[in-house]
Order: sequence, then structure tokens, then C-alpha cells
Amino acid sequence: MKSFRFLLLVTFVVFPLIVFAEYNTIDDLAKAYSDESCKECHAKIYEEWKSSYHAQSVNHSAGGIRNFILVGLGKEWEKPVSKENLMRCMDCHAPYLKDASEPLIKEIAELIVASVDEKDEGKKAAAKEELAKLNVNCVICHNTKVSIEKNLKGGPKPGVFYGPSGKSTSAHGTEKSPVLSSAIFCGQCHGMYTPPDGDVIGCNTLYGSYQDTYKGNGGAETCQDCHMKKANRGHTFPGAYQLEIVKEGIGLDVQAAGIKLHPGKWIPTAVVNIGLINQAGHRIPDG
Amino acid sequence: MVLEVTAKTDKGAVIDIGKKEYWELGMDLDGDHRLGAWQIKEIIDLTLPPRNTTKERFVAELPPDTKNAEIEIKVTYFPSGPTGKPVLELHKVVKKLNFEK
Repeated sequence: MKSFRFLLLVTFVVFPLIVFAEYNTIDDLAKAYSDESCKECHAKIYEEWKSSYHAQSVNHSAGGIRNFILVGLGKEWEKPVSKENLMRCMDCHAPYLKDASEPLIKEIAELIVASVDEKDEGKKAAAKEELAKLNVNCVICHNTKVSIEKNLKGGPKPGVFYGPSGKSTSAHGTEKSPVLSSAIFCGQCHGMYTPPDGDVIGCNTLYGSYQDTYKGNGGAETCQDCHMKKANRGHTFPGAYQLEIVKEGIGLDVQAAGIKLHPGKWIPTAVVNIGLINQAGHRIPDG
Repeated sequence: MVLEVTAKTDKGAVIDIGKKEYWELGMDLDGDHRLGAWQIKEIIDLTLPPRNTTKERFVAELPPDTKNAEIEIKVTYFPSGPTGKPVLELHKVVKKLNFEK
């Protein structure tokens, strides 16, 4: 049974990572980067991830990407959709589109626009269903994005899954990588960002405030400490959309006094002093 | 994120004492406010900085016949902007004030 499972994993996970190709359909691309077989051994983690915004990183941000396609490229730059241009967004929202063909990039751009603007609800839902296949999955974080220090240590190796422990398994190649436990790993996308075309994008600036203000004022925790380890959050990566973690981040101190002002007139007056305590590791709000 | 302070008096008056908004204002290189991620190169930081307490003070005169008032302090977070969902109600605190001393 074990060897059969190994064969399956090699066939569907490792092998596609070794083969480099330019893909012409979403299904072929999604299959090449598929993490379906990860759940064979990592079912709990997979289900956690499935509930996260990383699992819907294109659909959830489709409005903003649609604006870039229609307004940024279409009206301001007057440029057609191309892989180079769309990767400004997709290098974070679906990094494996780097292996998509130009026709597939155009198809995906049309789907993104349809998923927001399409009047026909059936077609709109169909576009969203296709785009749901594009996301930030296990392969992206545990291989593709482990490229920090690549000049020193080399880029991610095909077929190898990087993790904080590096515990070996017969299912796939494994290497220990401390970068997955570091804040800069998340900062690759959750901060001021330089896309492959060399521009600078201010999608969000969270990592800047983490480094300069949080750590600058003595903060010692990492993104992973609060968004993964605390409360066993694991790979659900809760953030701005989840009440519990936002509540943890913002404390409130209220002092109120009733006094009477203006001697002789004695006008009832409320004096309210409020302290909003940012207990998070970054500015709030931010992305 | 929005902080709102409201007073309700024993005579039924509802008074908006104050409101503060915390957000990140994106700008392009010409200093114009922009919303598109591809346009934003600078920010005006109107957010709450980490490891800091942001202090606000409100002083509000109430109607002269007020004997008691309830001051409601509400903190609401709008992760998708003021018209989007979800709307997260982070804190709601009520303080009772008496003016008959």
C-alpha cells in the first residue's frame, strides 16, 4: 500500500514539478501544480488551507485585478493583456501562471473580467469556478516561493517540498528551510512589492510597518506566530476578515467623566478619553 | 476602521459626539489619491501603528436639562471598505454618566 501511495505521489506531484512546459489550459496548469495529492498524508492541513483566503487568492481579489486589466492596462497604459503585465498581479495571486501560455493568460484575464462584470449569473458562476483552480497552494509556498537567498543557496529544486523541519519522507523530496518560519517569507507578497517587470506596487504595505514600527518598537513575534501558531490556526491564515483575530489585534481603553461646565450655566458635559491599542505586528488597517 | 462616540440622554436626545476614521490613503507620484494597486506609490498613513496606543479625546456639551447620559463607544472594522462586507464590530462599550452630583 505504501509503495502504491508513493507511486501515486510521484506521478501526480513530483513528476509534474520536474517537467517544465508552457500550458494552454487552466486544467493542465492546475494539474501541473496540483496539491490534491498532498491531502493523502496532510489531510488536516489541506482542509485548513482550503478554508483560507490563500485558497481563493484570485477570486477574492478579482475586483482589483479586473480594474487593473480594464482601467490600468486598457485605459491608462493602452496596452494589451500579456503575461508580463498580468504577472504584476499573478506573481502573488497565482504564481504558477508564469508557466501559462500567452493565449491562456488572455483567457484568464477574460474570465477575471467576467467573474466581476458578467450579467448572466450562470456565466459569472462558471468563470468563478474556473478561476477557483488558481490560487496560492501547497506547491507555491513549499516550493515556488522558497526563493529567498536563491543567489546564495540556489532556487527551489523541482520535486522538493521545503518546510521548517525538513523531516524526510518517502513520498517526496524534502528539505529544511528556515525561510518558511520567517516574516520575510510572507513579506514577499504582503508588502510593497516588485513584480517581475521591475515596477513597484503598493498593493499593501503591511510588511514595511512590521519591520519599521513593530520590530522597531521591540516587537519580537513573526507573522507565523500570530497567524499560524497561536490558537492552532495552522494553515487557515486568518486575517482582516476574521473577527477573532482582528479583535485580538485592537484593544480599547475608555475613560469617561461627566462634568458641568461654564460657572453659573453649569452645562452637562461629557469628557471621553479613548485609547486604541494596536496589539498586532503591523499597522491596522492594511493588507 | 471607524471609532464612533454617541451620547443618549435621559431626555431621549441622541448626540453624535465624534467620529474618527483610520485608513491608508494611497497616492500616485503626483500626490493624487489613487485606489488602484498599480497606481499607488506612496501612502499617507492614517492607520493605527503597531505597539502603540492611539489616544483620542472628545469633549461634548449636552442639553442643559440632562441629568444622566449613556456614552456609547463603538469600534467597527471594514476590511472591504465602507460599503463592502463583512463589517466587523470589534468593540462596543457603554459608560453611564450622572450630572446630579
